[in-house]
Amino acid sequence: MTSPVLTGTLTQTVQAFLDAFARHDIDAAVALADPQVTVTVHPLGVRDQGADALRAVLADLVRGFPDLMISVSRVITTGDVVTALFKAEGTQAADYAGAINQEKHLDVDQAWRFATGSGLITEIAAYWCQAQLYRRLAVKRYDEIAIA
Amino acid sequence: MTELSQRPRTAESASAVVTEFFDRYRAHDIDGMTDLCSINADFSYVPVEIWGKQRVLRGDGKVCTVGKPLWTGLVTSFPNLSNTVQSITSNDDGDVVAQVDIEGTQQLAWGLVAPAGRHYCEPHLFIFHVGADLLIDGITAYWNDAGISQQLGHNEVD
Repeated sequence: MTSPVLTGTLTQTVQAFLDAFARHDIDAAVALADPQVTVTVHPLGVRDQGADALRAVLADLVRGFPDLMISVSRVITTGDVVTALFKAEGTQAADYAGAINQEKHLDVDQAWRFATGSGLITEIAAYWCQAQLYRRLAVKRYDEIAIA
Repeated sequence: MTELSQRPRTAESASAVVTEFFDRYRAHDIDGMTDLCSINADFSYVPVEIWGKQRVLRGDGKVCTVGKPLWTGLVTSFPNLSNTVQSITSNDDGDVVAQVDIEGTQQLAWGLVAPAGRHYCEPHLFIFHVGADLLIDGITAYWNDAGISQQLGHNEVD
């Protein structure tokens, strides 16, 4: 099957990924990544490879914050790299990153760096501040994340 | 100004400015870093936020008023502060994206973190904009501040 994005620009591929993520369509987002995509999520300590790893990262976010809203402020293309700056907002409805659900509202600015090749996303590196995330979820200590 | 400003802005020349910026940062040449920025360069260290009772102080403002004091404080608290540039990509519009590991050993208090002589190394993502005059007119950075706190032995979120 030939995806329409394969004929688009690298920026369009990443934009399509962000659009799919924003509407919680994990399958559509993952379909835009190479099956061997490298996934690095610095704040979570994730350094993995493959579509399942990417799916897990996205699905965990949507599961933890079912009303997750992704507001993209900038998409910057530098060669084969596309960097997206966005704010992730949502209300916690399930445990996330070890933090128990206290129904707190989350808003964290993030930067995701995408490397692309052959029309697909080959690398994703996500940067955000876990201190900001835990602060909003009412976590008090890093060594006692699950204790409210 | 230096030879850098004599050249037209291209992806390569913009990238060279940022490479020089991190070289000067590695040398703790804070004035030199500032010299690479325009007088009114924007600055945003996104993870920097200090929650008070009535307001939140953020790491947003200008290079000269927010960035320079932050850099000075960092090299004071971490006298061996260093950086390793993992990648730099750029475009002809002056956008430069850099993946940089920043590391250092704490000797003095940094924010709420008391000095315990511990070392940290944390990946950062920097987004620069380099103007047509080959001066940096915008710096935005993202990293996980919780990672730094934990490496330094500070386990309280606030």
